[in-house]
Amino acid sequence: MTVAVWLGTAPPVRTIRWLDGALHAAMKFAKLDDPLLAVAAGDPTWLDLAADRAGRAGVPAAGISINLQLDYLGWAQVMAAVARQINARIVIVDEASRPERFPEVAALAELLEAAQLTHVVSLAPDGDAVHASRVHGTVLQAVRITGPAVIGVRIPGAPIEEYPTPTPSASMRRLDLNSLGLDPVVLGHRALPPRVGGEPRRTLERVAEHLAVHVVPRRGGAY
Amino acid sequence: MGAVLVHIDLDGDRPHAASLAALAAGRLLASSWGATLYAALVVHDTTTRAAPESTAQVVSAGNLPALERTQELLARAGADKIVVALTDVAPSPLWATVGGAWQGVLDHLRPRVVLFGADSPSSAELAPRTGARLGARLLLRARAVGVEDVELRDRDGGYVRSSDSGAAVAVIGGPQPAAGCDEDVDLVMLVMPGSSDDRVELIGTQPAELIHLTGAIVALGEDAAADAAIAKNARKLATALGAPLVSPPTIARSTPLSPDVLIAIGNVTADVAGATSLIRIAPNAGKQVDGALTGPIGSSLIELLDALGGGS
Repeated sequence: MTVAVWLGTAPPVRTIRWLDGALHAAMKFAKLDDPLLAVAAGDPTWLDLAADRAGRAGVPAAGISINLQLDYLGWAQVMAAVARQINARIVIVDEASRPERFPEVAALAELLEAAQLTHVVSLAPDGDAVHASRVHGTVLQAVRITGPAVIGVRIPGAPIEEYPTPTPSASMRRLDLNSLGLDPVVLGHRALPPRVGGEPRRTLERVAEHLAVHVVPRRGGAY
Repeated sequence: MGAVLVHIDLDGDRPHAASLAALAAGRLLASSWGATLYAALVVHDTTTRAAPESTAQVVSAGNLPALERTQELLARAGADKIVVALTDVAPSPLWATVGGAWQGVLDHLRPRVVLFGADSPSSAELAPRTGARLGARLLLRARAVGVEDVELRDRDGGYVRSSDSGAAVAVIGGPQPAAGCDEDVDLVMLVMPGSSDDRVELIGTQPAELIHLTGAIVALGEDAAADAAIAKNARKLATALGAPLVSPPTIARSTPLSPDVLIAIGNVTADVAGATSLIRIAPNAGKQVDGALTGPIGSSLIELLDALGGGS
C-alpha cells in the first residue's frame, strides 16, 4: 500500500522532534516495501527543511510551493489531491508540530472518504492492517485499522537541540497546484484571515484569559 | 436564522459537564441570534431498528424513560429541543463508531452552528469531521462573548458572528454562565440504521502515560516544588484545569510532553517543545512562550488562581 505523510504548511512551532517522529513512523511501512512519500506545502525555506528531515529519515519528499494562507479544509484539499494522485491508502499526518494541523486529519479523511483516527501515539503495520494506540483522555485505546485511513500522529522523534541548516533539496519532487488539478482561485475561498500573532502574553489578565478556556467545567457547578 | 446544535456526550446517566458548558454558550448564542437551540446525543438502543435503506427515521416524540434525568438537565441548561439519535452500535468516542448516527442528526437539522465541549470525550474525533462535512469554519477553544450581540471568539482571533454567512463549528472551552431556563422542551427521536465504520476496530484500553496526555499539564520545577505554598497552589491550579501536576523525578529533560497547554512553574526541565501552548510562571520567561508571569512565583500563582476563580 502507498503511504503518504502530510508534514503541513509551515515549520514546527517549537521543535522538529514531532516531524521526525511522524517520518520515522512512516518508515515502518517502508520495511514492507510500500511506496512512501512525505509531502509539505508552503514557502521554499519550509519545503527545504521538510525535504531535509524526510531525507535523513529515508523518506522521499515532495513539495508544493504555494503562498496562500488556507484554513483546515483548504490545506486538506491540497493534500487530498496529492493522496489521490499517488493513490495513497494510508495518510499519516503530523498533528503535534503545529496546532492547526490536527483538524486536517478529519478534513482529509472526509475528502478521501477514508477512516480517520486522531491522537495516535504508536503505529505498527501488520499486513493489510495497521495497529495503533490512540490517546483518549487518560487512557490509551488499542485500535485496528483496515482499509484506507488518515491517521493523525503525535509520536516524538529523538531529542534534538540543534539541526543543520537545510540546503535546497535536489531530490525533492516539486508539485504545483495545476499539476494536482487545483485552481488557486477556487482554493482561495478557503483563505484564512491573518490571526493574532505571536507576542507572548505578559500580564495577569491576558494569561488568565488564555487559560480560561482550559478550565474544566464541573459537574453541578457553573457550566 | 438557522439552528444552533450542541453535541452532548454522556457521563454516566447525565450530560458531560463540558457538553453542558457548550450548551450554555449555545443558549447565549441562540437567544442573541433568534435561533432554535438543539441539544443532540447519540444513544445506544437495540430495541428499535430503522429500515436498512433509510437514513434516519423520526419515531416518536415525548420522553425516553432512561434519559429522563438527562432530558431534565438539558432543558434546564437551555435547550429548546432535544434530539436523540438511537443507534444499535455501542457508542465510543470515535468517528468510526458514532459518525454515522451523528451524520443523521446533521442531515436532519442542517444547523448553522454546531458546538462541542472541548473536554467532552467525543470532541476531538467529531468536531473537525463535522466541520469538514458541513464545509464549515472551525474554532478551537472558543467562548461566547458579548451581551446583546453575542459572538464566538477563539484565543487566536477567530470569531463567528450572526452576520457571517456559512456554517461554523466551535469547540467551547472553559465554563460558561448558566442560563437558568425552564424545563419545557421538545424531544425528537431519530432511529439510525446500523452505521459504524468497520474499518476501525476498538480492541482494548489501558492507562495512558504522562508523555501521551493531550489536555493540560502543570509542571513544577525542582526550585518551585521545594516551596510548600507554591506546591499547594500549583495543585489548585492543576485541579482547576483538570490537569496532572508533575515534577522531578517524574519528568526529566528529555521527557517529551505534548499537551494542549503546559503551565511550567519555576525551572521545569522537561522537553516542553511539543506543547501546543506554553505558559511559564518563573522569573525568566525563556523562549517560545505564549504567555509568562515573571514576578515572584508565589504571588503570581495566587493572582492567577484568583483570576481563574480557583483560589478558594
